[in-house]
Amino acid sequence: MAAPQTPEQKELAELIVAALNLEGIEPQDIDPDAALFGAGLGLDSIDALELALEISKRYGVQLKADDEDNKRTFASLRALSDFVQQNRAA
Amino acid sequence: MAAALRERRSGLRPNDFGESPLPTWIGRVPGIEAVALPRRLADWDCRNNRLAWLALTADGFLERAAAARIHYGADRVALVMGTSTSSIGATEEAYRRLLPDGRYPADLRRPIVHTPHSLGDFVRAALGLEGVVVTVATACSSSAKIFAQAERLIRLGLADAAIVGGVDSLCGSILFGFNSLELVSPEPCRPFDRARRGISLGEAGGFALLERDGEVGPWLLGYGESSDAHHMSSPHPEGYGARRAIQDALTRANLTPDAIDYINLHGTASQKNDEVEAGLVAGMFPARTLASSTKGWTGHTLGAAGIVEAVITFLTLQTGLVPGTLNAQELDPACGPQIRIHNESADVRFALSNSFGFGGSNCSLLFARARHA
Amino acid sequence: MSTFTAYVNGVSFWAPRLPGWQIAAPVLRGEAVAPLQPATRPVPTLLGPTERRRAPDTVAIALEVASRACESAGVDPQQLPSVFASTHGDLAISDYMSETLVRTPTLLSPIRFHNSVHNAAAGYWTIGTGCHEPYTALTAYEDTFGEGLLEALAQAACGDRATLLVAYDIEARGPLATMVSSRGLVGAGVVVSPHAQTSSLARVRWRTTQGGARTVALQSNAELVAGNAMATCLPFFEALARAEPRTVCVGLSPSLALELDIDFPAAGCADEG
Repeated sequence: MAAPQTPEQKELAELIVAALNLEGIEPQDIDPDAALFGAGLGLDSIDALELALEISKRYGVQLKADDEDNKRTFASLRALSDFVQQNRAA
Repeated sequence: MAAALRERRSGLRPNDFGESPLPTWIGRVPGIEAVALPRRLADWDCRNNRLAWLALTADGFLERAAAARIHYGADRVALVMGTSTSSIGATEEAYRRLLPDGRYPADLRRPIVHTPHSLGDFVRAALGLEGVVVTVATACSSSAKIFAQAERLIRLGLADAAIVGGVDSLCGSILFGFNSLELVSPEPCRPFDRARRGISLGEAGGFALLERDGEVGPWLLGYGESSDAHHMSSPHPEGYGARRAIQDALTRANLTPDAIDYINLHGTASQKNDEVEAGLVAGMFPARTLASSTKGWTGHTLGAAGIVEAVITFLTLQTGLVPGTLNAQELDPACGPQIRIHNESADVRFALSNSFGFGGSNCSLLFARARHA
Repeated sequence: MSTFTAYVNGVSFWAPRLPGWQIAAPVLRGEAVAPLQPATRPVPTLLGPTERRRAPDTVAIALEVASRACESAGVDPQQLPSVFASTHGDLAISDYMSETLVRTPTLLSPIRFHNSVHNAAAGYWTIGTGCHEPYTALTAYEDTFGEGLLEALAQAACGDRATLLVAYDIEARGPLATMVSSRGLVGAGVVVSPHAQTSSLARVRWRTTQGGARTVALQSNAELVAGNAMATCLPFFEALARAEPRTVCVGLSPSLALELDIDFPAAGCADEG
């Protein structure tokens, strides 16, 4: 059973679905701990770049998608949301 | 160009293009801004067509084209041009300078420069050609594929000769576009280097005249075209399409890999292209086949890469000076013995030139030094 | 000047009021009225989920007509080299790019950038079908359809094999629309081959000709694709729909045209290929 989303995770989930035009997925159905890339949501490296762009526009957080650390940051909705909340512009 | 290749003199410079240039290196052609088109061609004026004009008027090509037009007839010389962004830079400028009512500024209110065939139509008008006229836009393979297309037209008798050319110029779309894909290097590109960090964008224009017959000049012996069918912006991981294009070029030319003296590689200095292409060459060719990427001299000129590198290949065939891979210092372990850093001298009779593009479009051209090489 | 022979073995068409050849053909020959309600753009079901969600209008429409033409010909798409012809390419993305470059160039969408190349539709097609045969993507401004058709016919003749032509144009948006007049969506496809098959729709004897007045479409049909840059394809498809012998002239360049003698030999005749 997926953990319930926090409000910040829900907002980010909505951004992900909208930015990537994901079909057949409701933002609230994204399991915060499921993998975003590869298996799970099945996003690829171009999606990572697109997401980094949208996140930077919305939250003012810079993400360089190639960074090794980013594999952890992008690992799941929870990880990404935590990173965004910790680093967002005031 | 021959001197620059011989002297290992790169044309790359720190990016100074546009208002807020990204921190990268570019292959910018000096003097485009100062070009004045003949008055009769004013309707087509824009940076990309000025670069086309520079290329047309270089090396006596304009005179050669005029002679071909007279010799064969204006409707019997086909024109096949290659580009990726054509004159989109003019549209970008129009948007920057929009009038308060949303219209383009008067000097840019010329529909022909705001459509991709701007290039083909400009060259048609510049050369007075009245036959087949077309612009091919398959990203980085564009001005290699033009050779294949022209050969078919001549073979079928739809033309007796063809002018093929490629022109692509720096513009916001490509600089910021490739930047958005994180494919652009902060330093001059180093193809096939183990520490390469991406591409350097460049601009260029080039032309060639193709004829059925002739004793002088390189001979187009074969070509191969294919699709990767994998991903829009990454090559097939095993180089399936590239291998097929190379193989088809060899087959059409009735040659085997060991006949090839030199390969001008696509070698963009992107992580993936170079890894795949290096492995492919190592697997397909004997150690004696020399190979290099010349994008350290020119940058990646996108829709003009095919023609530029075909011309470099012609110079190599004619002079025996084989360019190495400028800016590479330590080759990636994926490279076999073929890929060279330094220039060499060799007897080059048969050469290949590879152009592999966005959207998985591949083209490999096989040239011979002479008809009976 | 040589005349070549080819067969139209597959056909497809899409415009909001002519969504599919089954609907378009009777309308084009004046036997039916076009639906009043415009159809919404086709969904590119051919593509996997990742490519499908990224596909812009140009790709959706090009892939629709490409798929239907292949189905109509009974040919596996993996076997066909293809020619993709579009006058202006993706005008919506061109508008987006120029607009974004003015305001926030470093925030350009990587997905939209990689969709901005003129060969995007061709790339998605080969990815979606797993086709390794070569494609080309071309333009010749007002003569785009003619040059596209010529290239498909030339490839078919040279390669002695079936070749797919996909032609499409979409609506201009934003300030670019003041310079480029293209409205609505139009997509059209044919599979041409030097070899006939029992299901061949038509035989085409073709040649290039200097000058040449271009064939004009029926006014009633032209209105259905009014203002689209690819409306120039209409006379050819009208002729296919009418199934009566006819010569259609399509522009290749300001001084050259492609002359197509279209006729409809009895089914099962041997090809001249």
